[in-house]
Amino acid sequence: MAANNTDRGTSSFDFDPGPVPAPSRPVDRFGFVKQDQSGSPDELAKCKSVAEQERDGRRIRKWRKMIGVDGSDWKHYVRRKPQVVKRRIRMGIPDCLRGLVWQLISGSRDLLLMNPGVYEQLVIYETSASEMDIIRDISRTFPSHIFFQQRHGLGQRSLYNVLKAYSVYDRDVGYVQGMGFVAGLLLLYMSEEDAFWLVVALLKGAVHAPMEGLYQVGLPLVQQYLFQFEHLVKEYMPQLGEHFSEEMINPSMYGSQWFITVFSYSFPFPLVLRIWDIFLYEGIKIVFQVGLALMRCCHDDLVKLPFEKLVPALRNFPKDTLNPNMLLPLAFSFKVSKHLDELQHEYEKRNKDPIHHEGSTSKSVDHKLLDKSVMKTQSHDIEKPTFTQEKKDQG
Amino acid sequence: MAAAPAVNKIKNAKLVLLGDVGTGKSSLVLRFVKDQFVEFQESTIGAAFFSQTVVIDDTTVKFDIWDTAGQERYHSLAPMYYRGAAAAIVVYDITLQASFARAKKWVQELQAQGNANTIMALAGNKADLLDARQVEIEEAKKYAEENALFFMETSAKTAANVKDIFTELAKRLIEAQPAPNPSGMILVDRAENRSSNSKCCS
Repeated sequence: MAANNTDRGTSSFDFDPGPVPAPSRPVDRFGFVKQDQSGSPDELAKCKSVAEQERDGRRIRKWRKMIGVDGSDWKHYVRRKPQVVKRRIRMGIPDCLRGLVWQLISGSRDLLLMNPGVYEQLVIYETSASEMDIIRDISRTFPSHIFFQQRHGLGQRSLYNVLKAYSVYDRDVGYVQGMGFVAGLLLLYMSEEDAFWLVVALLKGAVHAPMEGLYQVGLPLVQQYLFQFEHLVKEYMPQLGEHFSEEMINPSMYGSQWFITVFSYSFPFPLVLRIWDIFLYEGIKIVFQVGLALMRCCHDDLVKLPFEKLVPALRNFPKDTLNPNMLLPLAFSFKVSKHLDELQHEYEKRNKDPIHHEGSTSKSVDHKLLDKSVMKTQSHDIEKPTFTQEKKDQG
Repeated sequence: MAAAPAVNKIKNAKLVLLGDVGTGKSSLVLRFVKDQFVEFQESTIGAAFFSQTVVIDDTTVKFDIWDTAGQERYHSLAPMYYRGAAAAIVVYDITLQASFARAKKWVQELQAQGNANTIMALAGNKADLLDARQVEIEEAKKYAEENALFFMETSAKTAANVKDIFTELAKRLIEAQPAPNPSGMILVDRAENRSSNSKCCS
């Protein structure tokens, strides 16, 4: 990802290499500067055994076969063996293939192919009312990751471009704090343009229900998800649910950032990646499941804590509970799909706003999913790219 | 802190920080709670929570601090954090006039929607950046006086006035609430009824 053709311009300007990542600041295998250096020699010693490497190799070969050359076999495979795909994704996508697979499972690859040149246009020719807001947050997004640390470096510029492009693409949403963590996570695995289309795929709902309501005025979808989550806790862990009520714990106090950033904010990166693998394939359900699993892990402690200890506990789960290989199987054990549907209906009924959870500002946003990955865009000024399969077929 | 175990009263107080994006709310809290400063503080998504105590004579004030996200879009989450707050710090950035305007809006909102007893402070943060100043200290002072706010310019970076603003709020809380308040959601709530019962042995 760091390879970029930055050949233009350097000759005529003072060349300022900026702070080069210093070797004195060790980073973990994902590129985050290590907070705690005491354990690093041990970690270095923890190289993978030959058997493990061989197993990884076999796994990657299986995945490559499933994907085909640059994703050519993917759709066919998914159609034939959806359960195999699901199982393998739940076990974790190999890191070297993650960027490509994320684009395939999210539907973003199709959007990219249907809309050549659109991203460039959004980045170069459009101005956004959110530009200052974005700039203010750029150096505050994953500040401990080397890719984003260098001021005006490749990471910060890419992040700015993706966020600005989205704020133009969907002016109703614009830029909202939290989007930066989503875009930042994607940029660690794919190019700017790919990351942009993946954000579009998520927010406009290429494969799953659109998530733009997370960021619209009033944060309508955050409110809905929190309502659903609170009820799930009561259902699966009545004692804890009761305790939360007594202590006046509102789910927003711990859960809003889970949903707003899909766990990409302040959780250990190995867990974040595994959650995202599943999230992109199975949908937002996994966020509820992981939330419930965290509660279950700490249940017996949580039910004893008073408010002022409960809130920090719900925001800093013990390290050992955040091991993906322990937490995710527990998460899958919560079968929440049906409950979520029921709770969504109940929420909509309570708000007396029939099937309109997209929020009130959607005058110009049309979410009708004509055919899976089909959608319209909302860039008012540029010649409207209507991203529909039909359009493509006509041409 | 345990200097006067004999008559140590403990008071819990919910405190909320409000203010525009990037004014330094989280940095003020980090300085107050951990005496640390980081140049690039991660954006706050939703809200963050901290606890810290301040000892004033024989009273320990235990602040439960809600540090909120600054962006306008998160406005809908804010009432939950300022509702029932004993104290609020409204923060602006002295180098940005727009952040002062936003601070005034927060003050108005607290006056209109919040608890009438909430003790409010106005913090002009980033006071170390004098060269870039856009909000004059007199202007802010005058506004604070008119609205009965306690005002200080602070710097989370140099630590100037950070402890002071929290300490002053603690003092005012004690003064405002000498006896248990019958309507009082403010100082004494469930939590320290328990802890004061259990912790008085020495």
